[in-house]
Amino acid sequence: MTTQNNFWQHNRTVLIFALIALTMPFWFPLMGGYSGLDTKIMIFCIFVVGFDILLGFTGYLSFGHAAFFGISAYVTGIMLKSFSDNIIPAILVAVLAATVVAVIIGLLTLKRTGIYFSILTLAFAEMFDSMAMSMLQKWTGGENGLTGMPTPMLFNLKMQGDTVFYFVTLMAILLFYLAKRIERSPVGLMMKAIKCNQTRLEFTGINARKYKLLAFVISAVYAAIAGALMVVYEPFVGHEFLGWHQSGEIVIMSVIGGVGTLVGPMLGAGFMLYFENVLSVNLGEQWLLVLGAIFMAVVIFMPGGFMEGIARLKKRYFTTVDGE
Amino acid sequence: MAILDIHQVSLSFGGLKALQNVNLKIEKGTTHALIGPNGAGKSTLLNVLTGMLKPDDGSVMFDGKPLLNVNSYDINQLGIAKVFQTPAIFPEMTVLQNVTIPVFAARDGSFNLNMFEGRSKQRPLIEFAEQQICELGLENHMHSMAGSLSRGDKRRLEMAICLANKPRLLLLDEPTAGMARHETEKTIELLKSMQDGITKVIVEHDMNVVFSLAEKISVLAQGQIIAEGSPDEIKGHPKVIEAYLGEAQV
Repeated sequence: MTTQNNFWQHNRTVLIFALIALTMPFWFPLMGGYSGLDTKIMIFCIFVVGFDILLGFTGYLSFGHAAFFGISAYVTGIMLKSFSDNIIPAILVAVLAATVVAVIIGLLTLKRTGIYFSILTLAFAEMFDSMAMSMLQKWTGGENGLTGMPTPMLFNLKMQGDTVFYFVTLMAILLFYLAKRIERSPVGLMMKAIKCNQTRLEFTGINARKYKLLAFVISAVYAAIAGALMVVYEPFVGHEFLGWHQSGEIVIMSVIGGVGTLVGPMLGAGFMLYFENVLSVNLGEQWLLVLGAIFMAVVIFMPGGFMEGIARLKKRYFTTVDGE
Repeated sequence: MAILDIHQVSLSFGGLKALQNVNLKIEKGTTHALIGPNGAGKSTLLNVLTGMLKPDDGSVMFDGKPLLNVNSYDINQLGIAKVFQTPAIFPEMTVLQNVTIPVFAARDGSFNLNMFEGRSKQRPLIEFAEQQICELGLENHMHSMAGSLSRGDKRRLEMAICLANKPRLLLLDEPTAGMARHETEKTIELLKSMQDGITKVIVEHDMNVVFSLAEKISVLAQGQIIAEGSPDEIKGHPKVIEAYLGEAQV
């Protein structure tokens, strides 16, 4: 096989994603919704791609990833407000802070598996939530949230409207590309082996705990980047950023889209946000009910999420000799 | 020369003495069988060797290095691989991916941050994995999901995983348990044909397997080694007969 073919094969999904994402400002407004929804979708794409490195690869279901999203958002907000309106130092400090927290939480929670791990992560996230509402109120703004940030700047460039969209989208493309690279690397193989058979992996000479921690921290970094970008997108941080509701939403996006596929969760994120913000208007107050029904239908009939649906359609209509 | 030296190892679970002052030397390059009635401590001893259990007392040396208080993955990196009673494989991965894992483990050690290295670009490593798979006769299943293989093929795949990072000592915990006659014969052939130089310790109930493979046999009963010798010596050993017939006096 030629190198060029390999390049296309490896980067096909990234290129298609880039094409769809970068052209969004042209076609997305036609589908309704407020301006800026496309930016929000891209931010959540970053969040869920990272989350899939943990849930999809290693099989560890975290119910506390909002903690990293929220901590990063608060730190970004505080940095913008009191240090400099330049987003670069703000994002760097915020992601670093969330990473440190992730290493500590990861070391503590990864001692357990299954539901115990999920509950531990949830407990930690709730702890940060209540801290933001009580002892850290002075900095977080408590109930009112963190407000009063200046217009974020990328050096001399005002981060508003389309500029934010393209900045976020380029980050999303880069981070999706890196996630794909991790998937194709030996590290990705070891992470996926954790989900299959951890005992065999340990008996094959692999320190599974370190790979788990690595997956946990990488996914937290993605969540933190998403959290920081959220503040660049909209200069406000509320404590709901840290809440279990936020963590749960990420899980639902991943499951609806197709856990472990990287692309699937992004589809899930796009679908959920579009549904929440656009279709909900037509459905009125019952929209959550409809969303719940869709979620159940997917889990029952298509446990592999949208990606399984796409694979089934592909098989039915596009099967050729080599199965491509 | 002994590659594995188990010295005065004792281990109790509560009041139950699972292992009592076990002394065992495994000679390099030999196939050594561990037999004994149920509950004799055979699997417990294997679990001590792989770092799953820590003995209360005693020492284990592998090739001059102590094995106690060492993690399972480090023990594997030292050159000890284990074949489980039920084949332990990575069911949701392809056969090739299954064998690629130990190949990278052999190159990179127990942890490596090579997050952005393309696996497919490492042709020699992938080819080595493919060669291992072919040697165990799984070439037609290269890209099949491991979980979909037959039991016998799963066992072969597990052997391929174990052999791919070139162990010096292979521990086999009842490799033919639950197998049909012809599959057992195949497994015996497989173990016989395995490359020279690998020392094997095999725990087995099937005496046919034991006597066709082992050069030396140790008999465990109630956590103690009660007899040791060549297959012929063991066959007629009064203590062994006693232990198996359940007439041993406590």
